[in-house]
Amino acid sequence: MNDIKIVAFLCNWCTYTAADLAGTSRLKYEPEVRIIRLMCSSRIDPVFILKALMDGADGVLVGGCAPGDCHYSKGNYYARRKVAVAKTIAESMGINTERIRLSWIPASEGPLFAEVVNEFTEKIKELGDNPTKNEVYL
Amino acid sequence: MPKESTTLIYGTNLSGYRIAYALGKLGYKTVLLNRGSYVDEIKNQVLSQLPLDLCWACGHMPQRMFIGLGAMQVFYNSDILEVNGSAGNFKVKVKKRDPYVNNFICTECEKCIDVCPVDVTVDGEQRKACYVHREMAWENIYQIDETHCTRCGECEKACPTGALKLDRPEEIVEINVGAIILSPEFDEPDENDLALFGWKKFPNIVKSADLARASLSTNFTQESFVRPSDGKLPKQIAIVITPQFNQKGIEYESYNASAQAIYRANKIKEIVPEIDVTIFCREYRCFGKGHCRMYERAEKNGVRVIRTQSISIDEIPDHNISIKYEWGNSHKEQNFEMAILIFGQKPPQQMEKLKKICGIEANEHGFCKLEPFTCAKTNVPGILAVGEFTAPKGNPETVWEGYGPVREILRHLGDKKIEPPKLPQLKNVSKEIPKIGVFICSCFGSFNEKINLENLANRINSIPRVSKVEIVEGCCTPSTIQSTASKIKESGVNRVILAVCTPLQKLMKFRKTVTMAGLNPLLSEFIRLREDVIQVHDDPEKMESKAFALIHAAASKLKNAQAAPPPMDKMGSTAMIIGGGITGLEAARYLSEMGFQSDIVEKTDIIGGRAAILSTDIEGHEFKPYLDNLIKDVNASKLITVHTQTNIINVSGYAGNFNVSLTKTGEDQFELKPAIVIIATGALENKVDIYSYGKDARVMTQSDLEQKLSQINNGHVAMIQCVGSRNPNRPYCSRICCSQAVHNALLLKEKGVDVTLFYRDMNLYGFKEDYYWQAIDRGIKFIRFDQHNYPKLTGSDDSLQISCSDYETGDELKISADYLILSVGIVPDIQNNEKLAKMFNLNLDDDGFYDVESCACPYEDASKRLMKPFELSSNGVFPVGLAHSPRSLIETLLMARQAAGKASVVLPKPMMPPPNAMYVSEVDADKCVGCGLCVGVCPYNAREIDPVKKIAVVHPFLCESCGACVVACPSSAAFLRDHREEQMISSIDALLAV
Repeated sequence: MNDIKIVAFLCNWCTYTAADLAGTSRLKYEPEVRIIRLMCSSRIDPVFILKALMDGADGVLVGGCAPGDCHYSKGNYYARRKVAVAKTIAESMGINTERIRLSWIPASEGPLFAEVVNEFTEKIKELGDNPTKNEVYL
Repeated sequence: MPKESTTLIYGTNLSGYRIAYALGKLGYKTVLLNRGSYVDEIKNQVLSQLPLDLCWACGHMPQRMFIGLGAMQVFYNSDILEVNGSAGNFKVKVKKRDPYVNNFICTECEKCIDVCPVDVTVDGEQRKACYVHREMAWENIYQIDETHCTRCGECEKACPTGALKLDRPEEIVEINVGAIILSPEFDEPDENDLALFGWKKFPNIVKSADLARASLSTNFTQESFVRPSDGKLPKQIAIVITPQFNQKGIEYESYNASAQAIYRANKIKEIVPEIDVTIFCREYRCFGKGHCRMYERAEKNGVRVIRTQSISIDEIPDHNISIKYEWGNSHKEQNFEMAILIFGQKPPQQMEKLKKICGIEANEHGFCKLEPFTCAKTNVPGILAVGEFTAPKGNPETVWEGYGPVREILRHLGDKKIEPPKLPQLKNVSKEIPKIGVFICSCFGSFNEKINLENLANRINSIPRVSKVEIVEGCCTPSTIQSTASKIKESGVNRVILAVCTPLQKLMKFRKTVTMAGLNPLLSEFIRLREDVIQVHDDPEKMESKAFALIHAAASKLKNAQAAPPPMDKMGSTAMIIGGGITGLEAARYLSEMGFQSDIVEKTDIIGGRAAILSTDIEGHEFKPYLDNLIKDVNASKLITVHTQTNIINVSGYAGNFNVSLTKTGEDQFELKPAIVIIATGALENKVDIYSYGKDARVMTQSDLEQKLSQINNGHVAMIQCVGSRNPNRPYCSRICCSQAVHNALLLKEKGVDVTLFYRDMNLYGFKEDYYWQAIDRGIKFIRFDQHNYPKLTGSDDSLQISCSDYETGDELKISADYLILSVGIVPDIQNNEKLAKMFNLNLDDDGFYDVESCACPYEDASKRLMKPFELSSNGVFPVGLAHSPRSLIETLLMARQAAGKASVVLPKPMMPPPNAMYVSEVDADKCVGCGLCVGVCPYNAREIDPVKKIAVVHPFLCESCGACVVACPSSAAFLRDHREEQMISSIDALLAV
């Protein structure tokens, strides 16, 4: 098995800041995760998730503010719908939907960020290589 | 002698910070005296009462920003020694000692800790003599433990930036200032003050503030409330509101003690429902916005609230706690495994010293005495006192007091001194081929030990379009910002990637570096090399490939980046005030004194509102002379136009550029173009039809009684509180009825009238509690009843027969009275509120009052909006006074002043960048088909379909750049400048390329 790759789309205000906090607190977590910052988790386009999976990611993590705490009032709810759309399409493409995860991680919870990353990495390692990697085309 | 233009702020309470912020924005310099050695060493109120366990960035952000701009200076380990001179020209002698580590130039490389040879164990925790103080999650404070440090000097030698110096002598300096603000912090009760409650004596009794502070970096979780004695989760927890049981004069209850208790109880219950939570209080005071709803939720969660006159706390075996309390005529006892104390505020310990140095006076409680009807004026002109120094305060009031006195301070200041630094000329690179420069920070060499930067740099060289890779020392200290900027310039690149560290604290510095190199920050990307790679992983190989992937993605994103100036919009300079009551008039006068024009819109034919029928309040404020004076000033002012009998018919526009159409009875429609709007429309008295009100003339409301007070000279008056309120239909407290009732009862009692007062909870908060004890002393009878068992009017012949069952024993009590007075409370003017709310895109809260997040309760809802400029966070509309929530007239005046103070920070600016985001969403007019999907998803109403062009337009002032519209747009016409579709896709490709 090759090294796995996980893409994390994080909202600027909560999860990206939680990752910052994990960093400043020097918490250790699995290095397979690669972060892309978005202003809001609602900026996640289902295309981004699918593109990442087709490009060779083994898992996609979307991180947003906790329900009710979105910096943009309700962006995280939009994100939830978009992730649901992406999962539906992924399924029809033969991608295990467990490779796509949406997590609410508040800005003050650095340890939770590390925990989610570790757990998700574990899960992806269990699932193994993304079998559709570089095989499906839209 | 010309007046000085600097202001001295003594102490670090939230008001002081806010004043520094407001003055900084207006271009005045402030000097802040912090008696501690780091930013929050001396805890202010927010860090003591904070019921939400969140970070507190609003005090820190302005500090960092204004220190950076040179508008603010902070002296640590400092104190005020001597004040000479008078308002406008004070000469103040202060002592100060700089902290060992100047955290403004510290890069947090931790080399000092690595080299420190002294190992120390404190409270079971191992660390060096040079260590990080990790109390605050958002900022690492590097400290030197003076008792253990051997002064070997290794740390100083190791420090690459010169931030750490061991030789920091105490200095005495004299500064010339125009005004002095006294804002010393909240004084927490200590061991002796809380002796009655066994704090520090018994291990399982903890202060709520300690729980809040301990959970700042972790959030409040199950681990936050384990028993200190054995680390186990308690099965029963008692929460005690101590100021209600403590001896008089030791501590005073502030605004949110009850709310804090109920909030804490709810949290515990919602995390571990099996825990029994019991709150002990004398009165449950829930007069803040939403506090009654919190109480209802607690009832549903199964939290018990025991109201009792006295309690005693003791320890029983296993470090458990036994609480005995008075109930009926006997005592009850209950055992708990842990107790949490919600404490009050001590009279300020700084009072004696400041009295001597500044000549200010204390009131009878030992707090700073203020001139009546003002929010900050002491007896010495030019010296103002704010926040918890003047009374037990809640966070909202404290924050508001930061804007309230701006006008008063400016009277004593001379011409402004600080000019914002001029931006360097930015290069136009639109015609150039993208040439990317990657500048990797080595953090003064400390990254090299963890990751091979040379290897990384070589790999990056292979990325297409990268023309320059260089390892730099940093770009976060003044000298490295300079050197990195000139390296960028020399290299001739037109796109920049800085592989650095946390943007949370340093984003401004990174942007500054890029800007100084003559490039628009839109042409740059920042990689969190330290937080995302170096500090969180161990495997050097994986770290290198992750760092490479992140930089590769950034480079791909950058090659499509386009520069653009941040959008600006014009800002008008006039205000519109809706409502000509005392709140609106106060706001208008404030603004006119600051030199701004305003229009007061009043729907009736007179101004003055309901205040005209009020005479005095319980604290002896005489309203009539104040109101008369205010009306005189408003009528005399050339800057204020009063439009009576005028109604608003339509509103369009946004902050800075409103367009309001109005009609005046009998005249033509006219238009106003205010930049900001203050809504001061007031509220109504509740109408009830119970207790024969309206049928029997002997049954009156408290305000009816005030009109008839002179006619009642003997007999017996009964009063019932909370009539028609604090029930499921109207779950809020009107805040003023209790003091109004006790005030009237005292006036009646003076004339020999007997008074019996039926109540649920006596909401006499702060110093007003004195009047409760006074009323009891004078023989006014207080009878508590239960929410589900209101007193009944059983007969009304010669006298009124009232029966009530006792709250504790359930015994039936019967009294006969000549008059029955109902405290009916305040209701929102729903119809009017709904109309205006719709016009201005505001929300109403569940009770029908205005709810503007950051206005509502600065600590409750504003947390999400911390990163915005405070004065425009409610988009230029400020609901104040009773329209916002029930409050007393004096509190209403404070609200009016804070709104006007906030407005006067923005009104002088002719142009403003969008308050919410640097780069907002935009529309590609060629692609837009005008379907309107983006309009529906925008949470801020920032988009609309242009009625003429039939395509979407964005109001930059309202946009917060979330990007929801970008995703919704089916024709890819909506875009965010720094997150374009093609940028995102190509960065995903690059991120996964290796």
